[in-house]
Amino acid sequence: MFPHRLTNLIVAALSFCIVFTSVGPVALAQKKTAPVEVTPPPVREEFKFGEVDLEVLQQADLLDLRFERDGLVLADESANAFLRRVGQSLIPRGLELERVSWKFRVLRDPQPNAFALPNGSIYVTTGLMTLIDNESQLAAIIAHELTHVMRRHTYVHNRSNRKKFLTMNVMAAIGAYAPGGVVGAVITVVTTVAPFIMIATIYGYSRDLEREADLKGIDMMISAEYAPEEMVNVMKLLNQDIEGENIRLFYNDHPSLEERIKYLSGYLGGRADRVTHQMELNRERAAYFRNVESVMRHNLQLAINAGRARSAVYLAQRLVDFHDDSENLFWLAESYRTLGPRAPQLTEKELTNSAKKDAAKKSLKRTAEEEERELLATPAGKDNWQKHQEMAEQLYRRALSAENPVPVAHRGLGMLYEKLGRGTEAVAEYEKYLELAPSASDRQRIQRRMEALKEKLK
Amino acid sequence: MNARSIVLKMQITIFALVVLFTVSGSHQVHAQFLHPKIKSKETTIRRVIVLPAKVNVVRDSMKGPEGMAAESDELSVRVEAMIAEVLSKKKNVTTVPTTGTSAEGGAQQKYDVADFQTKFDELLPKIVKKRSDVKKGRFSMGDEVLNLNLDKGADAVVFIRGEGKKLTSGKTAFRLFVGGMPAYLRLQIGIVDARNGEVLLYTDPILVGDPTTAVDRLRKALEKGFKKLPEVKAQ
Repeated sequence: MFPHRLTNLIVAALSFCIVFTSVGPVALAQKKTAPVEVTPPPVREEFKFGEVDLEVLQQADLLDLRFERDGLVLADESANAFLRRVGQSLIPRGLELERVSWKFRVLRDPQPNAFALPNGSIYVTTGLMTLIDNESQLAAIIAHELTHVMRRHTYVHNRSNRKKFLTMNVMAAIGAYAPGGVVGAVITVVTTVAPFIMIATIYGYSRDLEREADLKGIDMMISAEYAPEEMVNVMKLLNQDIEGENIRLFYNDHPSLEERIKYLSGYLGGRADRVTHQMELNRERAAYFRNVESVMRHNLQLAINAGRARSAVYLAQRLVDFHDDSENLFWLAESYRTLGPRAPQLTEKELTNSAKKDAAKKSLKRTAEEEERELLATPAGKDNWQKHQEMAEQLYRRALSAENPVPVAHRGLGMLYEKLGRGTEAVAEYEKYLELAPSASDRQRIQRRMEALKEKLK
Repeated sequence: MNARSIVLKMQITIFALVVLFTVSGSHQVHAQFLHPKIKSKETTIRRVIVLPAKVNVVRDSMKGPEGMAAESDELSVRVEAMIAEVLSKKKNVTTVPTTGTSAEGGAQQKYDVADFQTKFDELLPKIVKKRSDVKKGRFSMGDEVLNLNLDKGADAVVFIRGEGKKLTSGKTAFRLFVGGMPAYLRLQIGIVDARNGEVLLYTDPILVGDPTTAVDRLRKALEKGFKKLPEVKAQ
């Protein structure tokens, strides 16, 4: 009896030790998180590559190729060059990092996001480039991502995760062979709870790295003469949550945007007092919009395709406010046509976390067409639909009466009239479109639509 | 109730869950759903264009999952070719080369294919949520499919997605003693009408085994996956 109990106790003690030796250092490290000193460049000099790191590096290189091959990288040389110029200005002169080759690319994705691969590839999505206001804000995003690469965050996080996964598996093995009795029950409980603690530490560590990237990013911005408070403004822009998609989950790999705004504002303190002429220039909105106008237009098409109609209206309106030429007016018209019966903004109630979770669940259950049909059955939906169709028609007309009118505005009007049941007018607009753009890539689609409409009108 | 009976109860519950999972899993192996137009033979799939497959596999080790980007790319190509082979041999369906959608084409062509692939990715969770609704003709990708300017003779476009797991030897041994998910490959295949974007077929074959080496099992899983698709009569 006694030796058996002793074995049980040893197993129990062992499982406790495994949990606490893994969690302990992380918990202590979290407590030790101190303000980061201004010591650019934030390079992890002591880093030595191991076999595991080289594997991660190889995966990153392959990911770069995949993005390129799958048509996800925007082939807009001027936009990529602009991104490269901002990125290079942030990298301290003469800095050479082992196994890092800096690449700055625009990724075709309407969701506002940016990320870095450990090989030095920095990607900023068209959605984020369109959302921000000036070059300094773009610099804030890139500075954050550069810090991830310079501080070797991917490798460090991967190494840490591997230890935690191993611990979880060992715990699972101990749990599977837990003896009976009270000690066995204790072991079962400990080994059941341990994975949750481990996962919490994985996410906790990820949040620490994000925080470090935010703070070191501010230092890099100051060194490159970008107004550091623009980092806070980027977070505020992201916090607008136009589509209601920033959902807080039980585990989060980034600190919440509110938290980031808070600690970044605290960290800025006196750092934001010094304003140079160059900083003022980098904050100029018009100059930034001129540089990324083509990216913004490209993003509008992507946002419309992805059903992000609210974002499309918001972003297209900004573009028209900057430059109301025929093409930009066309994009605003397209955005309103796509918005259809949806309200242009989410209400405060719709922006609560639980409402956003419900909406996300609901969107999985129905297609965009079904959502539209449901909304059209409500008085508010009908009202929105009418307003937005009228708005779209006006804007298409404005686009066609502007200087150098774009032929696609005829296509847009055709689609609008088709939806409104005005078949004859729709056919006329489609014909005009194909006449003005005979080599349009969607010629086949429009011809098919015209044939169907003519058949109906007979 | 003592601790031992609590543990026993938990073990029984876990066993029941495993049985349930296995039963529902085996059901998925044969899950395939056809649009009513295919069933009623109003639409026949004779010639298809297979878009580049997106299959992702990871290596599951004791220290967690590791990426296998190169192997995933190789597997994507193999799955694509095998689907074309199965459709041709078992169903007499011809695969049309993807002229105009090649990587050598211009940036716009590349974008058009990428955007259409993304559109399928957005529709896929909705299909998976209620796969049987394919039988009601509920899902469509719209007439934007015509923007791809595919070969005029093509009846349908095939989309392939997949995810799988390969176990390291350490993890395989661990699984024997402790349990856990085996190595597997799960494919999600959608066939979409090339004229109006309607989802004509959805199937999600699963194979258990190392996804990077189990070639025969992959072929068998695909043959089962397309079992219900009517065979085209030779003209």
